[in-house]
Amino acid sequence: MNAVATSTKEAALAHRVLETVREQGTLPVSTAAAEATLESLPYPTSRQERWKYTRVAHLLGLEGETATDTTAPEPVLPSLDAHRLTFVGGRFAAGEIVDEGPEGCFIGPITAALERYPERVEALMAKGFGKQEWYAALQAAAPQDGGCILVPSGGRLDRPVLFHHHMPNGALAAQPLHLIDVAERGHAEAILWYDAAENATGLMNGALNVCVGDHAQLSLEIVQDEKGASSHIGHLHFTQGHHSDLTVRTATACAHWLRNDLHIVQDGEHAASTFHGCYLPNGQQFVDHHTRIDHAYPDGRSDELYKGLAADRATAVFNGKIMVHKDAQRIEAYQSNANLLLGEQASMFSKPELEIYADDVRCSHGCTTGQFDAEALFYLRSRGMTETAAHNLLVQAFLAEVLDGFRPEIRDYVHDVYALRLGWN
Amino acid sequence: MLKIENLHARIDDTEILKGLSLEMGAGEVHAIMGPNGSGKSTLASILAGREEYEVTEGSITFDGVDLLELDATERAVAGIFLAFQYPVEIPGVSNINFLRSALNSIREQREEAPLSGKDFLAKVKECAQLVELDGKLRDRSVNEGFSGGEKKRNEIFQMAMLEPKLAVLDETDSGLDIDALRIVSHGVNSMRNGGRSFLVITHYQRLLDHIVPDHVHVLAGGRIVHSGGKELALELEEKGYDWIVDTPAAQQA
Ligand SMILES: Nc1ncnc2c1ncn2[C@@H]1O[C@H](COP(=O)(O)OP(=O)(O)O)[C@@H](O)[C@H]1O
Ligand SMILES: [Mg+2]
Repeated sequence: MNAVATSTKEAALAHRVLETVREQGTLPVSTAAAEATLESLPYPTSRQERWKYTRVAHLLGLEGETATDTTAPEPVLPSLDAHRLTFVGGRFAAGEIVDEGPEGCFIGPITAALERYPERVEALMAKGFGKQEWYAALQAAAPQDGGCILVPSGGRLDRPVLFHHHMPNGALAAQPLHLIDVAERGHAEAILWYDAAENATGLMNGALNVCVGDHAQLSLEIVQDEKGASSHIGHLHFTQGHHSDLTVRTATACAHWLRNDLHIVQDGEHAASTFHGCYLPNGQQFVDHHTRIDHAYPDGRSDELYKGLAADRATAVFNGKIMVHKDAQRIEAYQSNANLLLGEQASMFSKPELEIYADDVRCSHGCTTGQFDAEALFYLRSRGMTETAAHNLLVQAFLAEVLDGFRPEIRDYVHDVYALRLGWN
Repeated sequence: MLKIENLHARIDDTEILKGLSLEMGAGEVHAIMGPNGSGKSTLASILAGREEYEVTEGSITFDGVDLLELDATERAVAGIFLAFQYPVEIPGVSNINFLRSALNSIREQREEAPLSGKDFLAKVKECAQLVELDGKLRDRSVNEGFSGGEKKRNEIFQMAMLEPKLAVLDETDSGLDIDALRIVSHGVNSMRNGGRSFLVITHYQRLLDHIVPDHVHVLAGGRIVHSGGKELALELEEKGYDWIVDTPAAQQA
């Protein structure tokens, strides 16, 4: 394949996606600038370090249909008391807007937020990686509606917010954007839920831009539960002010093909970031979690823990970059990635990347990929458990460290999806 | 109920058991004593079905069944229980949930109905009392952060829960202070009955003051080199193993 042919293919894909997405309706952005950025960026290939194990060639063939079936999906976590907004294929489908005025909280679709608080929302929209990565630029060139949370200074949401994005059947492209802005000393809890219908085969190329203000707190739980054969690329960008506290837990419950880019920038002193994740691809599935944290100011802490298992012929990728900037002294950064391989054809690629330009830093990282502990397995079997049951119990125990951090409703839900997929009883 | 004949076993290229024979009747308590490294734990592991060991010769029959044909799970179902010399820590697996799955797994394979939650908990309470196992320990991860003595009591607790036909206790006394030794022995003694046999591995006679065996065997160099009644344990305590291990029978090994 020569360069011209490749560029034609990717340009054609961009054209198809932009066209179909715009047909559905997008948020107002400066299209010309965004498209120029897109054209200037290379399409990801395995020759680029960040895409070494992540083949995106299959996406070039995406047809890019428009959605025909736009019925709202069944509510998720029905027993959870939350502010709910539902989106289908990048369009607002259901939910109540909460608007307490300029001094209060806002929860609603971005389209509504833009009408009421244009400056704050446009500033949030401008964040993200739209200028660095081809797929992020594609998303930024035609972002679609998603949820928006605005919490004012010292404000507090009375309940968690649940944004549910659903990919309908068919080879549709959707590019939803979610925005969360918690101003100083504010406090919020949110859940982002991504799912897909059984016969979804499209591309979910979504973004999330988050600002956690000075002394503010945000706890975010992300669940990816996509049946069918759609592909998911997530661009998750977080900026934290000084003394802010951010927790992001990501559970990839089910994904046919998924790439997450999660990037946290500590843009003030004494910021704390916790980011945990778990994944369990089986069959032919592919899951890739790329994370990056920038400690740009002193006295920050980060606690990163990703755990996963690859079974059958599945592939899991983890890449965790820790960047400690010059003069960002007294940073404590912990990273751990632990993996289990179940099946000789399963693959796992795990890589920590540490770049440290300050001298007074406490940083630790560990990446392990292993098989089951034979001693533990024998112990369980000697008590009468079957080999399969013992495996399952050990997997559950292995994932518990991450899963137990979620609220119980989510923990149990994700556990049940894993149980169903791997045949735990 | 258990008959081991001319058992030879090795791991990698090292032969560990070299023609071990032993016969046990139902309801009997046999003690196996012997120097460190003589193969006691190897015998225990092979009985429980650890797969790293290769049996190159000989046979083990348990209740008329060829034990070597069964895997570890099937042996537990058949009624064999091993109290580990070094119980394994399994972070994240709750002691009690694990026991419930194990117990119900055994019952399912025996085509028995699962135990109701209520009956299970009643049984847990009863068995935990038997070895004075703290409620906190029951709910923690399997053996994680347990002291040496707590681990051993947890093994006996599990044994009481699973009610095996043959219990192999591998140095259950090591690391126990005198009180814990008394508790553990009491647990074992109260489980003795006409249908249940115990193979008690130890190299201290003091355990056998509490769990009085019907027979005592000396394992050295991968074979049983001497057998006797309970008084043999005392003799070993006094004279050590050399007088037996140096006999021609042992030399052959
Ligand atoms: N997994 C193993 N790998 C290598 N050697 C082993 C293994 N298990 C036991 N052995 C060797 O076999 C011999 C007997 O060990 P073991 O059965 O543990 O003895 P005991 O329990 O009587 O102290 C020792 O020499 C020991 O080093
Ligand atoms: Mg031993």
